[in-house]
Amino acid sequence: MRTKFAGLVATIAVLAAGVPMIAHHSFAAEFDATKAVKLTGAVTKIEWLNPHTYFYMDVTEICQGTPAPQGQETAWKCSPADKSKAPNWGLEMGSPNGLMRQGWTRNSMKIGDVVTVEGSAAKDGSSIGNARTVMIGGKRLFAGSSQTTNP
Amino acid sequence: MRNRLLGRLAVATAAAVVWSAVVVSTQAPAGQAPPGPGGGRGRGAAAPTEPTPRLADGTVNLGRVVGEKGVWNVPYITNMGMRLVGADGQPLAPQAGGGRRGGAAPAAEGRGAAAAGAPLGGGEGAAGGGRGGAKSEPWVPFQPWAAAVYDYNSKNQSKYDPEGYCLPPGGPRMMATPYPAEIIQLPEQKRVIMIFEGATHIWREISMDGREHPKGDALNPTYLGHSVGHWEGDTLVVDVVGFNEATWLDYFGHPHTDQLHVVERFSRPNKGTLHYEALIDDPGAYTRPFTVAWDIPWRANGELTEYICQENNKYLQRLTDDFGQPIFGKK
Repeated sequence: MRTKFAGLVATIAVLAAGVPMIAHHSFAAEFDATKAVKLTGAVTKIEWLNPHTYFYMDVTEICQGTPAPQGQETAWKCSPADKSKAPNWGLEMGSPNGLMRQGWTRNSMKIGDVVTVEGSAAKDGSSIGNARTVMIGGKRLFAGSSQTTNP
Repeated sequence: MRNRLLGRLAVATAAAVVWSAVVVSTQAPAGQAPPGPGGGRGRGAAAPTEPTPRLADGTVNLGRVVGEKGVWNVPYITNMGMRLVGADGQPLAPQAGGGRRGGAAPAAEGRGAAAAGAPLGGGEGAAGGGRGGAKSEPWVPFQPWAAAVYDYNSKNQSKYDPEGYCLPPGGPRMMATPYPAEIIQLPEQKRVIMIFEGATHIWREISMDGREHPKGDALNPTYLGHSVGHWEGDTLVVDVVGFNEATWLDYFGHPHTDQLHVVERFSRPNKGTLHYEALIDDPGAYTRPFTVAWDIPWRANGELTEYICQENNKYLQRLTDDFGQPIFGKK
């Protein structure tokens, strides 16, 4: 129980902090923490692999925003995905061991699941992002890596 | 592949010198990025009041108590420069605004990380996020070339960090790479084994039989170096030499040379805390020795799991050099 509560606190702290923790490689070399994205679509492929789990999704709606200060909601500007511009996104999450410490299993996400992802977009504008949270079936899962749970 | 990597690194290092010479840092401090998550790092931690466990012979037990679980929840020390302590154990890095995480008192780091939201100019706290163009810290006794390399690593967001390539940490960074670790004492065998889940599933063996370091060519430079240890009261003191030059001291890119000599001090003031100190003596990169220190909390219900970093490292596949060319990926 205490562990669960601590986990919840950790998750909230992470969400509030806004910048995901990646111990394995430089976050800033690849992603832009100021480019918040919220993507909705169906999962097409999952790579439950180290050092980062990846999944791919056909994005039907893309929302963009600037990460809000702690305690405030991000203001999203949403639009339907432009189908001509590679609507299949690749999303990076934590490592399988880190995700399992967050309560994931390799079957938490399945191909075909419609998910909503919040995270950061790649600096180079490609359809790649770093997922911070994933909403699957009404359940919000922390997708990143924290000091607590290990990337 | 390896030679190619080294070649690239050589190019990168050469570029570093030029780069640092011409570029004046105009970047804002890393303050825009909130400090990293770390909340709840005390998860499952033993109460600090629980006494230090001991082996049957009275030696401090730096590992598990028989019949219990537990791992050391190694924190992410992104910037070793912020962990320098003076002879009095107090942090040398500026502590202005309370925003910089307390150098010598990182026990509070886990709980306070998210709350301590003040800007961390050039310090840690970006948590793998923006490096923010940290300048060489004046309290770190850099040689000029080492400062230049550090600034270069800062400017390019640590993109060439060997750990991002799934190469192991070396020296004090082993205790600063945020995956759990275990310390297993084998007194009857006169050695101590440390197992690290993270980075690359590394282990270290610390000889406790009084041997000396190999001399001359018998000392082959390695990532983790050669470790010999002894007890000074309740403190395990480990002397390490024989490092190669393939690691950084931290994520922020403090460099070192193969002249690096580290003296580590491990103590367990209570069941829930491993206090770690490391004297970093590298006359090849720094003008004088300095000491870094931090605390590592015990996660009482923790166990090591598998983590094979090399499996699917897409970061590496996408990594480009300073000229925009793929380093490992398709050209």
